[in-house]
Amino acid sequence: MIPSTPPDQSIERVDVAASDWRDACQAALERGERFCGAFAAGWGSAPRRWSALFADGASTRVLSTVPTGDELPSIVDLVPAANWDEREAHDLYGLGFDGHAPLLPLVSHPSDASSWTVPVEGEGVFEVAVGPIHAGVIESGHFRFHVVGERILHLDPRLFYKHRGLERAAEGRQLAEGLAYAQRACGACAVANSVAYALACESVLGLAPARELRRARTLLLELERLYNHLNDIAAVCAGVGFASGNMAFAALKERALRLNRDLSGHRFLFGSVEVGGSCLDLSAQAVDRARGELRELGQDTARVWREIQFSPSVQARLEGVGVLGHDDAARFGAVGPAARAAGVSMDTRAVSPGLWYGSSFTAAVPPGARGDVAARLEVRALELVEVFSILEELLRDPVRAGTASPDGAPAPIGVARVESPRGETVCVVEPEMSRIGRLHLRTGSYANWPALAFATADNLLPDFPLINKSFELCYACSDR
Amino acid sequence: MRGSLALRLVDAGSCNGCEHELTATAGPHYDLQQYGLSIVASPRHADVLLVTGAVTTRMLESLRTAYEAMPEPRLVAALGDCALGCNLLGRHEELAGPLEAVLPVDIRIPGCPPSPGRIAAALLEQLQQRT
Repeated sequence: MIPSTPPDQSIERVDVAASDWRDACQAALERGERFCGAFAAGWGSAPRRWSALFADGASTRVLSTVPTGDELPSIVDLVPAANWDEREAHDLYGLGFDGHAPLLPLVSHPSDASSWTVPVEGEGVFEVAVGPIHAGVIESGHFRFHVVGERILHLDPRLFYKHRGLERAAEGRQLAEGLAYAQRACGACAVANSVAYALACESVLGLAPARELRRARTLLLELERLYNHLNDIAAVCAGVGFASGNMAFAALKERALRLNRDLSGHRFLFGSVEVGGSCLDLSAQAVDRARGELRELGQDTARVWREIQFSPSVQARLEGVGVLGHDDAARFGAVGPAARAAGVSMDTRAVSPGLWYGSSFTAAVPPGARGDVAARLEVRALELVEVFSILEELLRDPVRAGTASPDGAPAPIGVARVESPRGETVCVVEPEMSRIGRLHLRTGSYANWPALAFATADNLLPDFPLINKSFELCYACSDR
Repeated sequence: MRGSLALRLVDAGSCNGCEHELTATAGPHYDLQQYGLSIVASPRHADVLLVTGAVTTRMLESLRTAYEAMPEPRLVAALGDCALGCNLLGRHEELAGPLEAVLPVDIRIPGCPPSPGRIAAALLEQLQQRT
């Protein structure tokens, strides 16, 4: 595997007058750039700034503006994917967005349900409220379904029950200390969030990760993807009441977690990512043992997957359920397996020069790509094959401690985009002296929640757990 | 409670690590059901309330409601370091925890996250004390 060559990854910041905000965003879209997040900065007496991120290959353009008062022109009509970003900035930074009406609360939890739900009226329409505590072992979040009979007309999700204020709490900390905030935002995406944070810090510090560091981080990212994809397939099996598939994949996941513990000392790989280096050290014997274990795990995974594929009663429950079509996936800015299942050929691993993916890496898009539960399950199975092959390559040689070396001047902003098991995760770090001025984490789950809510419409209420499991989004790293 | 414990989880602001490990205790490698430990769908059916996370202000009311809904006698378990108030991260204004500040804690299961083996051992010890 020949890793793609590093250059051609720039972060460009462009200051825009508030009056030109929409034109500047429109121009970025017309150049073919992809919106990948927006964030407010500045609190109390500090001047407030509003920035939007646009991805162009491995490069990221940051458009920034300073509102003249408390309000800015909204871009939600140009970029529906900016819906949550604008609502969050309104709740947490008091920014208003002209043209975004109604600007419903997102992070704030007013007690009056009519203030945060879309009114749905008509004969036989009623509401079903679920959560924040669910019947299974699931993270906390609330879903307000508007239904006729068992048919869902519209879903208003209300998350942020787990909002810990991690981004604000990290402000003022040393850059190295900030890693804990990114990692602990989410247990299941701990590596992706940490690597995104470390890469963002390194671009702030003018450091470039050396080959060994890029390899170690890629290894950790793929180990994280491995146990997550196994977990997510188990969850979909549980969602259709297919107990043997659920148990088989849960057992495979347990083996992956034990391998993580053997390699990194932690089942979820916590503490294995650092800013500016890596102390992951695996001897020739350790990597050989891991490769042997992974080969067996790969064979067993393929065998159990075949059983699911050739079980017609399971397949019949997956097809045509929770459809997210190509155009809607693109419009909502969906990322990761959810986008690829809808035929959007996008995987940030293909444009990650700070990591160690082959130059021939391409996004896995299943044939047909119907965007239903079946397709989202199939993407993960396809990606598992790829994960085993990447890990086989990465573990061919012993892993030594890696470093990052000076490569250019320190920068006033660092942005990194990393493909987590759920899709592209974006981390922004703005330093203030040697400390964190602003930390922003926009995870693959955050990007996908609005698309999930959209995909539930016109489905049966009892299918919601299945649709939800097929996206398998995190609440923790959306809520932060 | 004699011979079995019905468990109900409330995620009060975790990173989801404790949830992964609790799910594993009910999975094929650990299979806690064989010892009489089961995860139930409602606090109305539960003997033990397992609570994870830092206890956010937004989860406080739901957590209390779940506790009030339980029949007595009832036990509260702090599952994981966050619920125990160890190395908590977050803004003071957003957190109501640690759990001990909100509910009486009977069982402490440390770890970040505690391994399935550790969760199983802590719960089995409770079971043995009560049989």
